[in-house]
Amino acid sequence: MSRRRVVITGMGTVNPLGHDVESTWAALLAGRSGISPIEIFEAATFPTTFAAQVKDYDLADHLPNAEPHAAAGRHAKFALGAARQAWQQANLDADTDLDRSRVAIYMGCGEGRLLFEKLSDLVVRAWVDGQLDASRWYDISWETMDVFEETEQESNMVAAHIAAEFNLCGPVFNVLTACAASTQAIGEAAGQIRRGEVDVAVTGGAHSMIHASGLTGFNRLTALSTRNDDPTSASRPFDMTRDGFVLGEGSSVLILETYERATARGAAILAEIVGYGASADAFRITDQDPEGLGAAQAMHAALADAGLSPADIDYVSAHGTGTQQNDQVETLAIKRVFGSDPAKAPPTSSVKSMLGHLIAAAGATELITCILALRDQVMPPTINLHTPDPDCDLDYIPNESRKADIRVAMSNSMGFGGQNNTLIITGAT
Amino acid sequence: MADRRVAITGIGVVTAAGIGIEPFWQLLCSGASAVGPIDLFDTSRYPTRVGGEVPDFSARSHVPKSYRKSVKVMARDIQLAVATADQAFRHSGLVTKGTDESAEMTVDPKRLGCNIGAGLICCELDELAAAAITSVDANGIFDIAKWGAEGINNLNPLWLLKYLPNMLSCHVTIIHSAMGPSNCITCGDVSAHLAVGEASRYVTDGIVDAVIAGGAESKLHPLSLLRQALLKRLSLTGDDGLGGHCRPFDVAHEGTALGEGGGLLILEDLAHARRRGATIYAEVVGFGAACDPAGIKVTEANVGSLHLAAAKALADAGMSPDQVDLLIAHGTGVAAEDELESDAWKQVLGDHRPPAAAITGAIGLMSAGAGGAELAAAAMALHTQTIPATANFKALADGCDLNLAGQSRPGNLTYALSGAFTIGGQSAACALKRYDPEQ
Repeated sequence: MSRRRVVITGMGTVNPLGHDVESTWAALLAGRSGISPIEIFEAATFPTTFAAQVKDYDLADHLPNAEPHAAAGRHAKFALGAARQAWQQANLDADTDLDRSRVAIYMGCGEGRLLFEKLSDLVVRAWVDGQLDASRWYDISWETMDVFEETEQESNMVAAHIAAEFNLCGPVFNVLTACAASTQAIGEAAGQIRRGEVDVAVTGGAHSMIHASGLTGFNRLTALSTRNDDPTSASRPFDMTRDGFVLGEGSSVLILETYERATARGAAILAEIVGYGASADAFRITDQDPEGLGAAQAMHAALADAGLSPADIDYVSAHGTGTQQNDQVETLAIKRVFGSDPAKAPPTSSVKSMLGHLIAAAGATELITCILALRDQVMPPTINLHTPDPDCDLDYIPNESRKADIRVAMSNSMGFGGQNNTLIITGAT
Repeated sequence: MADRRVAITGIGVVTAAGIGIEPFWQLLCSGASAVGPIDLFDTSRYPTRVGGEVPDFSARSHVPKSYRKSVKVMARDIQLAVATADQAFRHSGLVTKGTDESAEMTVDPKRLGCNIGAGLICCELDELAAAAITSVDANGIFDIAKWGAEGINNLNPLWLLKYLPNMLSCHVTIIHSAMGPSNCITCGDVSAHLAVGEASRYVTDGIVDAVIAGGAESKLHPLSLLRQALLKRLSLTGDDGLGGHCRPFDVAHEGTALGEGGGLLILEDLAHARRRGATIYAEVVGFGAACDPAGIKVTEANVGSLHLAAAKALADAGMSPDQVDLLIAHGTGVAAEDELESDAWKQVLGDHRPPAAAITGAIGLMSAGAGGAELAAAAMALHTQTIPATANFKALADGCDLNLAGQSRPGNLTYALSGAFTIGGQSAACALKRYDPEQ
């Protein structure tokens, strides 16, 4: 049965290593780390004091008019910059046939920047005689809370800003499957195009959890690296000495459309999405399935969807967070799919070693690195990988990027709570 | 068109009416409202003191015994979702690890999906306050440096997991051993329609045999209620304690009343459902979604181009507007929203004026859960050939033109259309069809 081919014609990114695709890619190939002490809030006393932050970013540099988005949250501003880059590369402003009700916005965006210090201060001020006085809390909160600041925290507001920026009236989805969100968004958006429900999709993710609430939450889970004396070497996916992931922030956005449409309007095709698979571990909220069955199921489903066999995959962009558990389970899952002999698995790397973990935005950003790997025939490295772990015995492209003949790339994302997603892409044809 | 058809074989609802489909459907047919004083927290200072609270709710009685200890790491939204899922699976007759831990599942776990819409879950203020109070400076002001050094240790290590929106789906997939695709849509009031629409594609694309889809949320939280008050969307409770009710499209509509709960449907490949002899309540035959770029102006009423979403759902179903026999409106009761919504339906249905109902007056606005309950009502209407009542409705407001009634009515219903919209300017609609065993 023939089905519509889904191609990528635009991409944009704002992340700790760059505010556009090419500078990000140059940094990744050079093995540079985007991680440094936290400056965007007072984190000096937390168990973890560093993160991968977006620095010196001004939305006005990216949009013709940033004024309508003045109230947008930090991550929404990243998304608008990334979306504009993608839109421009796809040259959609020149597309006079574009039916704006047939453009989907399918994002995997996080909640806004939770105002933890403010909320904590309000509950502290409303603490009377050993308990929270609800009346007092209401009175002082009513005085200080701002309707726009509060409403912008809803995760669907990022898509609302994108719709406004490009004057779109098609379907809007936002999914928040934790660390897998933007991979899931892209996979589902591709499905809408395949089925002919929309002509074009603006898809990806945006997130910033570099705030007191996010750092508190992940520190309490002991999921973060605490290598405070050496931030740039803290993100060590697949290394024996890894001690957790590094919080990052940013956004990446892609433009998807059918192959026929792209060629008819003369758009440059960057890559083709050939396979998508999703699964649930159905194991525990705190742990991944130690057998890696769920992650393997997502990879198998993506391969089946693409009509490819494991041997067709030339490069895997790992979820590779740098936590003890993820890297071990993901390695096991990859071996379940590609064979127990580690030599059978394709070269696999984790750009989180440089970018940190962009949480909901991670998958879209990693997919962009796969597109670039296919374009330039070079695989980005896993940096900070110096001490092999016997449980992580694949070729992780340690420390230096590597030239290779790459035709098909796979990108994995695994969300906290057990939601797994895999995308498979091929290069421009 | 897809060969596979999407059967609704289970309906789970947890609402102010109580646990399960029976009290819910009884309430909707009675014309009464379950909205009443909020007991969950002290609302004495709030401009609105009523809401659709789920009565006597204890999540522990809705999870398998072995899972009870996990309830303490579930925010109320998650607890409501888990209870709703329990209802939905039991209603469907499917055997899962959650409905019977010792039995064989009657659906392949790898082909059982999950797609549960969720809201922005607020942390429990009492819990935060008790931890934060340990981190104040000499002036009694919250001190972030102290918090980072010591205070955070007063929070439960799993604190974050209690509030992640994907945890609605994650707990449900774990309890019921659903290993197929699992998604979590967070688009406010349209989340559940989007979830059901997307999940129905899982079925027609052939990647699942069954999927649980819809949404759940509790807006009955001090911060959520405050946010809605800031948006000036609430119906006000006077000093006399009266008022604050939601009266969709009624002359006296003056705002919404918040609710809580969940609505989840079991969507099943029709052939799979027939093979196991399942009761089929209705079919999902069409889906559409849209948005309005003006939606970023969050303090202005906006229905997210609902007319486009509805038109797409009809086109997807291969229906003409005059085939719609029943309309389930979103009906927030906010006057400006009611008018825009009524206009949107008129735009898509033209002169055709089918019987309509809005259930928000009866149970309150459940946000991410709202669409699930609305689609549950649509499915039950088709199954029982009954048009539910619109609670609190007496006479049409100026600028509204829907065929509503304060009492339930018998109907001859083949197709139902249900749509919703949300803050941010997004909308979605689903078309449902009466199940005919002969077809």
